[in-house]
Amino acid sequence: MKEIFVEIITPSKSVFKGKVISITVPGALGNFQVLFNHAPILSSLEIGRIKIEDEKGEKIEFATGGGTVEVIDNKVLVLADSAEAADEIDLERAKNSYKRAKERLASRGKGDIDMIRAELSLQRAMNRMKIVRD
Amino acid sequence: MATLRDIKRRIKGVKNTQQITKAMKMVAAARLRRAQENILNARPYSKKIAEVLQHLLSSEKNFNNPFFTEREIKKVAVVVVTSDRGLCGSFNMSVIRTVEEIAKGALSLFNNEGNLFLYCVGKKGNDYFTKRNYNVVGSYPGIFSHLKFEFASGLMKELMNKYQNGEIDKVFVVYNEFKSVIQQKTETEQILPIQSFEEKEESSRLTDYIYEPDKGKIISALLPKHLKAQMWRILLDSYAAELGARMTAMDMATENAKELIRSLQLTYNKERQASITKEILEIVSGANALKET
Repeated sequence: MKEIFVEIITPSKSVFKGKVISITVPGALGNFQVLFNHAPILSSLEIGRIKIEDEKGEKIEFATGGGTVEVIDNKVLVLADSAEAADEIDLERAKNSYKRAKERLASRGKGDIDMIRAELSLQRAMNRMKIVRD
Repeated sequence: MATLRDIKRRIKGVKNTQQITKAMKMVAAARLRRAQENILNARPYSKKIAEVLQHLLSSEKNFNNPFFTEREIKKVAVVVVTSDRGLCGSFNMSVIRTVEEIAKGALSLFNNEGNLFLYCVGKKGNDYFTKRNYNVVGSYPGIFSHLKFEFASGLMKELMNKYQNGEIDKVFVVYNEFKSVIQQKTETEQILPIQSFEEKEESSRLTDYIYEPDKGKIISALLPKHLKAQMWRILLDSYAAELGARMTAMDMATENAKELIRSLQLTYNKERQASITKEILEIVSGANALKET
């Protein structure tokens, strides 16, 4: 079996570690899938979902808030700002931050740094909610 | 002279104190285990980021980033990491002393002109410096009871913003490094501008990566993450060191209480013996007096 070794780590802990068949990540220039013998790549990640197909063919999904991925010698290292497995996502929290971000965006003019932050927070919340729903 | 009852009361008091110190030691030990786990969990992330960055920078020699360039220093910030609670030996004092030393020594020029800004993490340092004549611009008491990465990243973000806007030209952190359970070391570290990465032997890994979107963007995305991870590491270290210091301090207090109880018990026993002897003496002499009449 042609497997690659994947490790997903966040600042507070290691989220996933193991052999997989494929991994799909939200790269800066669009989603891409990494299979056996992928060329070395270093890419930044956007907010989105990481999809993994493990040895047994089971699919695991994670919500990520961006980060960086390094692929080298069939080893994939995901340095994520945040990453949660689909069943670990706190839907209530995501909904709350969704609401908060919406309010912030509605209340102020565009252009300042808080807007960008609210926008990002909105994206993250939407991402989380979407992954739970699927 | 202390009566029997007084001594007994004191023994009881010391015993109570001993119980408390013992319990505090246990609590600190349990928390320390968790804090150590957190350090271990955080290590791979910061290590990997540093590795990737170092690799990138070694192949991009002429990369120019404000986070690296030394400039004329007009304003200096010091992040003071202390604990929220006391009873941990010299833990806080040693940080405070170090900060005062550099404020009056190497950085006195900035301090005198009000260009030395203190960011106090932890209640103890905050209490100390706000009461004295220091320019405390950031106070973060009570964060250690639920330490989160978000806090470290927020603090670092503020420092980075000010650094980029030219409001600060240099940032130091003074904190206690966790060496082992019984050993802490007060460290002064410069985090901005970034001093060169530690060179490792394996840095000559010459791989042709595909870069998405491009090298420069990846470096500028990774640098803040690296800094945040560093701040996170420092806070975790300080917390573990605090718990270690408290454990040793409380262990010592428990030992001292034990010693005190022992000596008090001895005086108590002697006193008791003396009073019994005195009583017998009184009875015997009383009986003798009766016999003679």
